[in-house]
Amino acid sequence: MKRAHVSYKTFYKHFSSKEDCFLALFETAFARTERTIRERLDAAPRPWPDQVVLALRTLMETIAADPVMARAVLVKAPVTGSAIADRYEQAIQGFVPLFSAGRELNPRSADLPATLEDALVGAIFWSAYQRLLVGEADQLNADLPVLIELVLRAYIGPEKASRIARAEALGLQPVLA
Amino acid sequence: MIESRRVEAGGGKREGVGGKPVELGPLPGGHHGLTREQILDSQRERLLAAVAQRVATRGYRATTITEIVKVASVSTRDFYEIFENKEECFLAALDVVRDHLVDLVDNAVAPESDWPNQVVGAIRVLLEFFAAEPDLARLCLVEAISATPVSALRFREAVLACVPGMELGRSELTDPDSLLPGTESSLIGGAISLAGRSILAGEPEKLPDLLPDLTAFILSPYLGPASAARFAARLRT
Repeated sequence: MKRAHVSYKTFYKHFSSKEDCFLALFETAFARTERTIRERLDAAPRPWPDQVVLALRTLMETIAADPVMARAVLVKAPVTGSAIADRYEQAIQGFVPLFSAGRELNPRSADLPATLEDALVGAIFWSAYQRLLVGEADQLNADLPVLIELVLRAYIGPEKASRIARAEALGLQPVLA
Repeated sequence: MIESRRVEAGGGKREGVGGKPVELGPLPGGHHGLTREQILDSQRERLLAAVAQRVATRGYRATTITEIVKVASVSTRDFYEIFENKEECFLAALDVVRDHLVDLVDNAVAPESDWPNQVVGAIRVLLEFFAAEPDLARLCLVEAISATPVSALRFREAVLACVPGMELGRSELTDPDSLLPGTESSLIGGAISLAGRSILAGEPEKLPDLLPDLTAFILSPYLGPASAARFAARLRT
């Protein structure tokens, strides 16, 4: 409150508790990120691999743009309180339908583990989390090709996935070009 | 696991009838023949077990030193003789668990002659351990991540310590550089998140069921999806 120059009275007018305040903070962060990704995906129809690239790039950009907020969210969210943990779960689950749509592109998708999408989402948030822990938000961009390759390879095979990931690493940005 | 170690503390002197370790309660007063050092060792072990149990049950933030010393049957004064504060006690407990996990994995990997089976052995032993020790699972995979900045860094270090072992899998590839550097860290992170979800869902006993899926997830980039799927299918039966 001191930092926000807000009185106790005003604080409690807005939030019933510290927990509530955190929930509101996280809600804002999640909602903004989800909306940005949704808007960019809806802006134009594109092939599925490009949708994944765009969504991941947008996520990493959003995190890198406000590492302090992202750190609070990613580090604290899973255990802070059940309402927040639920919201976090809902937010990361938002990526699951996007990824699992890729199963249609894989003729052998029956071989893919049922938890594949959950593990991929976990890999993405772990990568961001561990960078933020050591103050390396500027490295998130470098992780992006790794994550793109990891997600895409399961659905469209390693060769195509690697090509798209390496194009991203070289900054060719085929999607938004 | 901390349980079994605390019996070893004190140089194995505290044995009951027939060489069986006794349940450790508070030490009896008077002449028990233990040096001050041995008593502190024993108290330290009990405090580690207590902090693990309380943090797993109530969360790091809510856990107090008062609770820890009560569960451990150690006086507050002795607590501060052993640890500076709650965090130091918590971090020491994490270190003990980490060292034990390293031993478990080393032992599980040693008898396997090839890399894919070593990976399966490591995943299996970790899942089984955490299923059998739900408190420690919560401690390591949920609390450590967010309890304090130092515990989060220790967690990160412990996870990244697995990377070299995973990188050995690159020798399975025709071109070891065909996987981008950093793939290993992401794979491990994905596996840990999946395990963490079971714990957050209050289902640690289901962790061993994750073995086939995690195996497929982790082996796939190295062996190719078909071969990884075959490996996983064998584990399902």
